[in-house]
Amino acid sequence: MTAALGRLWRLWWAFSWPEVRHHPWRHGVAVLAVMLGVGLALSVHWINASALAEFSSAVRSANGEPDAQLRHATDRLDDRWWDRVATDPAVQAASPVLEAQAMTWTANGQRQSVRLWGVDALTLASVQPGLMPRLMEDAGRLDLFAADAVFLNPAAQALFADGPVNVQVGMERVALRRAGTVGQAGGPLLVMDVGALQHLLGLDGLISRVDLRLRAGTDTRALIAQWRAQAATNGQWQAEAVMLVLPDDGGARLSQVSRAYRVNLTVLALVALFTGAFLVFSVLSLSVTQRLPGMALLGVLGLDARDRQRLVWLESVLLGAVGSLLGVALGTALAWSALRWLGGDLGGGFFDGVSPRLQWRTIDAVGYTTLGVAAAVLGGWWPARWVRGMAPAQALKGVPLRGAGLVSASPRGGALWAGPLLLLVGAGLSLLPPVHGLPLGAYLGIAALLVGGILTLPLIAGLALPACSDRLHTQALALLAVERARRFPDAVAVATSGVVASLALSVALTVMVGSFRQSMTAWLDAVLPADLYVRAGAGPQQAAILTPAFIREVQAMPAVVSAVPQRQRSVWLDPRQPAITLLARPLRSASDPSMPVLLPLVGPALAWPASPDAVPIFVSEAVADRFDARPGRTLALPGIGPPEVRFQVVGVMRDYGRQHGSIAIDEQDYLRLTGDTAVNDLALSLQPGVSAEALRTELLRAHGDTIEVTSAQTIRRLSLDIFDRSFAITVWLQGVAIGMGLLGVSASMGAQVLARRREFGLLRHLGFSRQQLLRLVAAEGGVWSALGALAGVGLGLAVSVVLVHVVNPQSFHWTMDMHIPWDRVIWLALSVVAAGTLTAWVSGRHAASQQAVLVVKQEA
Amino acid sequence: MDARWSRRLVLGALLAAPPWLHGGATQPPYTLERRALRFPADHGSHPDSRTEWWYMTGWLRDTQGQLLGFQITFFRSRVDGAQRLSSRLAARQLLFAHAAITDVTARRFVHEQAMTRWNGRPDAEPPANERAFARQADTHVRLPGWTLRRNERGVYETRLQQGDLSMVLQAQPSQALLLQGEAGWSRKGPDASQASFYYSQPQLAVEGRVSIAGQMHQVRGRAWLDHEWSEALLHPQAVGWDWIGINLHDGSALTAFRLRRADGTALWAGGSFRSAGSSSSQTPDQVFGPSEVAFLPQRHWSSPTTGIRYPVDWQIQTPAGVFRVKTLLDAQELDSRPTTGAIYWEGLCELYLTGNDKPVGLGYLEMTGYGERIRLG
Repeated sequence: MTAALGRLWRLWWAFSWPEVRHHPWRHGVAVLAVMLGVGLALSVHWINASALAEFSSAVRSANGEPDAQLRHATDRLDDRWWDRVATDPAVQAASPVLEAQAMTWTANGQRQSVRLWGVDALTLASVQPGLMPRLMEDAGRLDLFAADAVFLNPAAQALFADGPVNVQVGMERVALRRAGTVGQAGGPLLVMDVGALQHLLGLDGLISRVDLRLRAGTDTRALIAQWRAQAATNGQWQAEAVMLVLPDDGGARLSQVSRAYRVNLTVLALVALFTGAFLVFSVLSLSVTQRLPGMALLGVLGLDARDRQRLVWLESVLLGAVGSLLGVALGTALAWSALRWLGGDLGGGFFDGVSPRLQWRTIDAVGYTTLGVAAAVLGGWWPARWVRGMAPAQALKGVPLRGAGLVSASPRGGALWAGPLLLLVGAGLSLLPPVHGLPLGAYLGIAALLVGGILTLPLIAGLALPACSDRLHTQALALLAVERARRFPDAVAVATSGVVASLALSVALTVMVGSFRQSMTAWLDAVLPADLYVRAGAGPQQAAILTPAFIREVQAMPAVVSAVPQRQRSVWLDPRQPAITLLARPLRSASDPSMPVLLPLVGPALAWPASPDAVPIFVSEAVADRFDARPGRTLALPGIGPPEVRFQVVGVMRDYGRQHGSIAIDEQDYLRLTGDTAVNDLALSLQPGVSAEALRTELLRAHGDTIEVTSAQTIRRLSLDIFDRSFAITVWLQGVAIGMGLLGVSASMGAQVLARRREFGLLRHLGFSRQQLLRLVAAEGGVWSALGALAGVGLGLAVSVVLVHVVNPQSFHWTMDMHIPWDRVIWLALSVVAAGTLTAWVSGRHAASQQAVLVVKQEA
Repeated sequence: MDARWSRRLVLGALLAAPPWLHGGATQPPYTLERRALRFPADHGSHPDSRTEWWYMTGWLRDTQGQLLGFQITFFRSRVDGAQRLSSRLAARQLLFAHAAITDVTARRFVHEQAMTRWNGRPDAEPPANERAFARQADTHVRLPGWTLRRNERGVYETRLQQGDLSMVLQAQPSQALLLQGEAGWSRKGPDASQASFYYSQPQLAVEGRVSIAGQMHQVRGRAWLDHEWSEALLHPQAVGWDWIGINLHDGSALTAFRLRRADGTALWAGGSFRSAGSSSSQTPDQVFGPSEVAFLPQRHWSSPTTGIRYPVDWQIQTPAGVFRVKTLLDAQELDSRPTTGAIYWEGLCELYLTGNDKPVGLGYLEMTGYGERIRLG
């Protein structure tokens, strides 16, 4: 066995290595593609694994992980729950925490929202030591409880200048005295005493959670059921809305949140990897064809068929291995820099406050290397089979390999229909429901559509081209090109399959991004009906809110027609799922209470329920999907109003801004149920002729840097800028994909020219000039590319339908309207035809310049 | 941040921290106004004063006749920096509790402590689920797992369940209250401001059960309760103190204390003696003046864990006689360096008349400031 391997190795060294050295670029491209695929997939995997690992270790820091947290669905828990659970026999220690966000002014004068937490230093040590405030040298021990003392974590220390830390409460600036530090890692965090923070924020009697250390062996499910039951019988404190959140839930939630984007990036990486496989196929086909005489000679000299096959396998394994190893290096570098510069969520905002370190794992590296090698072997499979099947004596005499060295899979009867069949299967798979929230069926469907489409190419060529050739019978060159394509449909399929696949993906992405952008623009128009938007700070737990006095002042301004307030809250329907945003704003129009104010609705809205017990709500598509909240269904929103209140879904709305879902409720209903009068945003509609900019300046002058005033146009522009930036990478990927497809055309054409030496020789004898031959090759390239472009656009449109109507709703829970940017699609198709023609011409010229003399000599 | 502060440490902590370190610069000038005590209101808490404690110490015998010492203490201290807060969880007051059992036969010493916040709101009837409070109408202090309450019959009921320790005790007064100092106004230093309101309830008849590491003892015995509150008590030069409160077997009650300077000399001293015959009077037979009490160490014990050397055998000279106080177990030291950094000694002792080897009383001795000077604030 080792002897055989040694022989194979020597053979490779003598026979294959010179080929690699002779065509470094061609092989380099195949290696590059494998490298890209492996690198991309590995980096996505590692970035996410590192972020999750960092998150869990932050949660479990040292011995500092609470066994469970008691929370409330609205993130505001009655603090008597602390009293209640602290004395429970199952509880060893219980520590209350009040969580908020606050706007602050950093050392460089910027306004920034940071976490502001209130803790109980007396119980923290035994539950969560990492959060324990540490007093500065000159602070008094009792500063742990003082009204104005604040403790900064390392990130906050880096953010603020020395001296007091200013935070915005309502629209007031409050100076907090620095009394020490906390060790808690992650994003900037300010820690105060819980009672002091309650007082500061006017949240008397409320906390966010109770961190618990439980006796070993406590059944948390039974415990929360018991607490709820006891509290419910006493009619106490919204018993139905409290929940025990276990440490794993946080990780599960994050994993849930980031899964869709992670899977989509991984699929993209796998596409790159299989493009790599295809390039390995092209490169090896070409090189095998070119080395045919050599192979034949080796065969005659005694190298048997199996060894020839093994040699090609070895070549593909080596291409894959080099590509994969480079890919591991690339993946490491990508993951490292992405974690360093973008964070664990690639800037997606999922892992706030987590600064992960790269988790390099050998097992992943080995796994993805294997995947890369497997892709390369797949690419080398058919060339290896042809080499094995060739007849050395014939080849030595110059008889070309069957199928011009490119297609052996001669269409047996059934295979002809495999393509259309696969197209049907693909369509069927795309209709499948998601698996664990992932559009796996749709992905498989897209793959089947692409493969099926490529396999259908011969059929299309066979059907479409006869008509063309009839019309072209006076033009010899064109006729030759078309006839060639018609007679060798398999060759067309192979040569253009790369172009078809890459063009199809490009068209699909272009259409999807175009549709998304179009729908996003329409959505922005619908959700930004006013002229100016005012807020004090962002986020549902924001301490900086607009005060009633300010709102009255704005409403009284003569330039303002209306100032519509909006309240944002977080609601947790499930501790293992991310929180949902509750938006309270006027939804009944002032003139006609039966008419809902316009929201970006998907589908028709129901009539509003007449019964006051059923409160009308609109849910975003994410909520509708995740909680099966279709119009007409009722939903419980624990913690919003008394437990018996039911919320009836009267419509589904689009919300591209909040991926985890949002629920809109009328402000009057919200106020009646909660008594919460806080206001986060104000939407100002101005008198005609009033300059929004002038009013903005006036507001800012009066209220300094405690508010943010933004015009609708600015928000729209910023949103679309962010959209364009985040999809910029797809344009780049399209370029790469099409480039790879064209490399396939180039390799195929080169191989064709080589394989058809005799044919060209004959044509020369018949009087064709070299220029004419080149034009013939270019024309063939043009015909093939045109066929490929046609098929690619058709397939791309089909795939885009799947992306728009299946993948996006299933992965991200949002729908969009199909919008085909025809100009871009046509431009893409035309550039592919032009590039294909040019590529064929260049490859033909390259091949001809080397071989023309030889060809004639051979013939002579 | 657990509370392992003895009452004097708490006292010291709060008094020694300069006012500007307590936060808010606009605190009202707190002073303790001398007045006559009124009961039962003065059994309750006085949230306006800086420091207050209810301190029960004593001895118990179980059904096998084994001798146990016990102390259970509830402290309250005002947090100046949090006074302007009105939220329910505001730490306007801190409540501490501390308990220890000395098993003389098994030569074992077990202790537990707790500390929590209280908003200091005036009492309504405290709801059953209220986590922590110190009522103002009568003695009723609670921390999670700990309670001390004076019931409508004047009986003190105390409960504790934490860690290895549990106690359920009822302590019935058998004598009148004993007002320390001048009708309950007890001077603690050379300045007039260094004073406290201080009364004791000696000779409490105790019964109940205690449990150490799951081993339950039905017990009866005698206890001593101190209730004391003050605003500014400790002299700046004081580094520590020695204190005894002893129930004599004949029904008399002996109190003696002194505050020490760094060099070991007395800065201030005091105490009282009430004979059995005067047990129905709130005024002791003798109130000791600052120069009338002397603490003379006779034997020392060095803690094997901290290396601190404590006198564990004292001769105490008072106007009521010369006494000898001998500890029943040397190792009754509490080491709380990991939390508060304080180390002190508090334990069960026997009282002898000099020249007589028959013990005449059983009670508690406390000694602080023998290690490093207490770092406070």
